[in-house]
Amino acid sequence: MNVKVDTDGTVAHQDDAGDVLLSVRNLRKYFPIKDGVLQNVVGHVKAVDGVSFDIRRGETVGLVGESGCGKSTLSGCVSGLTDPTGGSVHFNTRGRGSAHGPLDEGDRIDRMDRATFAKYRRNVQMVFQDNFASLNPRQLVVDIVGRPLRVHGIASGTALQEKVVELLEQVGLGRQHLYRYPHQFSGGQRQRISIARALALDPELIVLDEPTSALDVSVQAQILNLLNDLQAERHLAYLFITHDLSVVRHMADRTITMYLGKVVEEGPTQDLFETPEHPYTKVLLAAKPDLDDDPDVPIQTLAGSIPDPARPPSGCRFHTRCPVATSTCGWEIDDIVRELETREDLFDKLVGVDRKSDLEATLTFSDSAAAHAVWEAIRSDSVPETMRDAIETLDVRDGALMVRFAKPSAIELREVGTGHRAACILAGE
Amino acid sequence: MTSIETPTENPTRPAIARVQGLKVHFASKKGPVHAVDGVDFDIADGEMLGLVGETGCGKSVTGRAFLGLIPQPPARIAGGRILFRPRRREDTSEDTPEFRPCPTCKGADIVCATCNGSGYDTLDLLAVKPRTMRAIRGRRIAMIFQDPGKALNPILTIGDQLAEVFLQHASADLLADIGGTGDMGGLAAGAVGRAARQESGRLDGILSRVPPVRGHLRRLRAALEDRIAAALAETQISNPRRVIRSYPHELSGGMRQRVMIAQALACDPDLIIADEPTTALDVTIQAKIMELIKMLQEKRKTSVLYISHDLSLVRRTCDRVVVMYAGRVAEVGGVREVFAAPRHPYTRGLLDAIPRSGETRGVLASIPGTVPELVSPPPGCRFADRCVHVMPECTRVNPTLQPLTPDQSVSCFLAHPPAPGAAHKEPELQET
Repeated sequence: MNVKVDTDGTVAHQDDAGDVLLSVRNLRKYFPIKDGVLQNVVGHVKAVDGVSFDIRRGETVGLVGESGCGKSTLSGCVSGLTDPTGGSVHFNTRGRGSAHGPLDEGDRIDRMDRATFAKYRRNVQMVFQDNFASLNPRQLVVDIVGRPLRVHGIASGTALQEKVVELLEQVGLGRQHLYRYPHQFSGGQRQRISIARALALDPELIVLDEPTSALDVSVQAQILNLLNDLQAERHLAYLFITHDLSVVRHMADRTITMYLGKVVEEGPTQDLFETPEHPYTKVLLAAKPDLDDDPDVPIQTLAGSIPDPARPPSGCRFHTRCPVATSTCGWEIDDIVRELETREDLFDKLVGVDRKSDLEATLTFSDSAAAHAVWEAIRSDSVPETMRDAIETLDVRDGALMVRFAKPSAIELREVGTGHRAACILAGE
Repeated sequence: MTSIETPTENPTRPAIARVQGLKVHFASKKGPVHAVDGVDFDIADGEMLGLVGETGCGKSVTGRAFLGLIPQPPARIAGGRILFRPRRREDTSEDTPEFRPCPTCKGADIVCATCNGSGYDTLDLLAVKPRTMRAIRGRRIAMIFQDPGKALNPILTIGDQLAEVFLQHASADLLADIGGTGDMGGLAAGAVGRAARQESGRLDGILSRVPPVRGHLRRLRAALEDRIAAALAETQISNPRRVIRSYPHELSGGMRQRVMIAQALACDPDLIIADEPTTALDVTIQAKIMELIKMLQEKRKTSVLYISHDLSLVRRTCDRVVVMYAGRVAEVGGVREVFAAPRHPYTRGLLDAIPRSGETRGVLASIPGTVPELVSPPPGCRFADRCVHVMPECTRVNPTLQPLTPDQSVSCFLAHPPAPGAAHKEPELQET
């Protein structure tokens, strides 16, 4: 309630813990990988791996990242649809205008009693990307939008119908749409119905999971304007998940960038877009063509593809693709294995990897020539220079290659400006 | 058949294809939906032409019409032509009798003004025989689809899928490469092509149906693999030999799209229809794929019809752009002109609706209203009921596409006031 939105869109933050509506602490969600007839768990996909952030009342937090970075899993955890593997989600269920107080153990959504949890459910609603799949095709609009009201026992009969009409009018639809099925609407109208349903219980937080990525630009503009109007009217908080940076820039007060399940940068939207500190944020910004940029300046692209989230790189997870990686960014044995995977002839000769730690291992090859070739390759320009710098010892002895990497620096989110944090050892320099 | 005259806008670049008054109607319970309703534009030889518009404006239908990929029924081509002139080419073994030589120079003159040196007469892609269309698809005009996950066959390896293209369209070349087939080269090539068409499936199955090549199976397979690997390498796939043996589900989205591009480029087509090739991909990969398409297009001087709803990408990659609205062309022009000074209110609205980096927050200018129903649309401009500058004429007469400058044409009465007296009759169709 003490959040003021300035004309230029920045939020005047108060260091008032009571403002915090939702707080996520060290959240982890691992999905098991099952294999074989017995479906034994052979590993985990670390979709979300130690994420912490806060959402204050009335603010919009943008969450960006490529597909597979865990942003949708995170949204599921925040809205209580997915049970996290570890960490906690806290939510202030004391309502608007309640006495301030920091969120504590009692606000953890997995430890709430039934009545409090019902309050949390009412106050956190969701709008999904696929507006066709998220509306029941066999129900009429009046049933879809009225459902939450019925479930929570808020209205029934004529009162319910009137309430639904009111909601539809708020999102730019009307009474004439009450008795239609979802397929009778256009994509933009269906997304309006989803928003009306999310508004039905007068929530404090709406999780918007790519609400406009299936829509055309002119319809997207209508929906974004609607969301902004509703926020001003009802003092809503949004968690806005998207991969479209221009939309985030337009909507969010604060922006969080995620890469492979971790937050790599967060900060006030304006700071993040004007002075991005993490190389990944910089690449994302540069990769998106904009109507105002110079068409002759080539778009910056990113080498390689997103690594397997079942065995994420250690240290900074972005170091395998980072254009400015240093020798202490977390180079490890897996990087040599990844490098080998691109060299099919040598990879086929790799017999075993005997790891002492992530940083030290002996690679055994079927013949000593192959081991020697790998040894040559690692010392040559075919691997990144910074990776070579990170190698402390490299010995080859009849078909076995001993490698030890230097200990990487600890890479954590750290302050680089007011409320602006980045997880990069180069940040702030 | 009429030839494609040199378009006035760009005398240095003759047109390779021309869409004239294209109309595609779809049958529905309420009546025919006028999905494409009189579309005209040219694709110049070697240019990248953007075709933009919102969902349902008819841009994909227009693109698919080039290759006869519109299911009829429910669709009906209600009028118009798509003229296409193939480029000059050494290997003419795939030509059908419908590929007629240029009426003026009989294909002999490489500086002939009528055919721009291609040696061919123009074809109407909407009227050619199925056999000719098969000779055009993949060989002369190729398509890159939006979702590579759906466009690739999940039960065939990448190698088998790409082999089909070569076997169907370049079998003579292939057999000549391996040699040894001697006098029966042409016959065998035809047989291989036919087998590839009938038996869409594994390479061994196809080849074993053609007795003369059985003896050369190993050499043929090696030659094929070399070609496929080269095609894949050209799209910057780092490990082509491994990809050849992979199934589509083993590849990432970006890789699958690269395979699609390799498949489209395999026979060095004259024109590529790229229907939203990057919509299913992440921004960082999208940038790389577009860079790749642009690079290959410039290297081979192929013409590309790039269908997209992403205006900022079109601005970056295309030479000219066609803006479509509700089945008609609103504006055509060079990208610089159209993006710097849009003359149609719809183009302006579309550009204003995109959040820009310059401003944060605030209200986005959105176009009021929704796209009109295309079942028996009223006369007049399709954009009239959403337009802020609407005039009485707009609801009565359909504004035709008229040149404004040599580089920009627009169909709007703001730019071309209607002639007095024209308000009472529908303007006649622009038939040449």
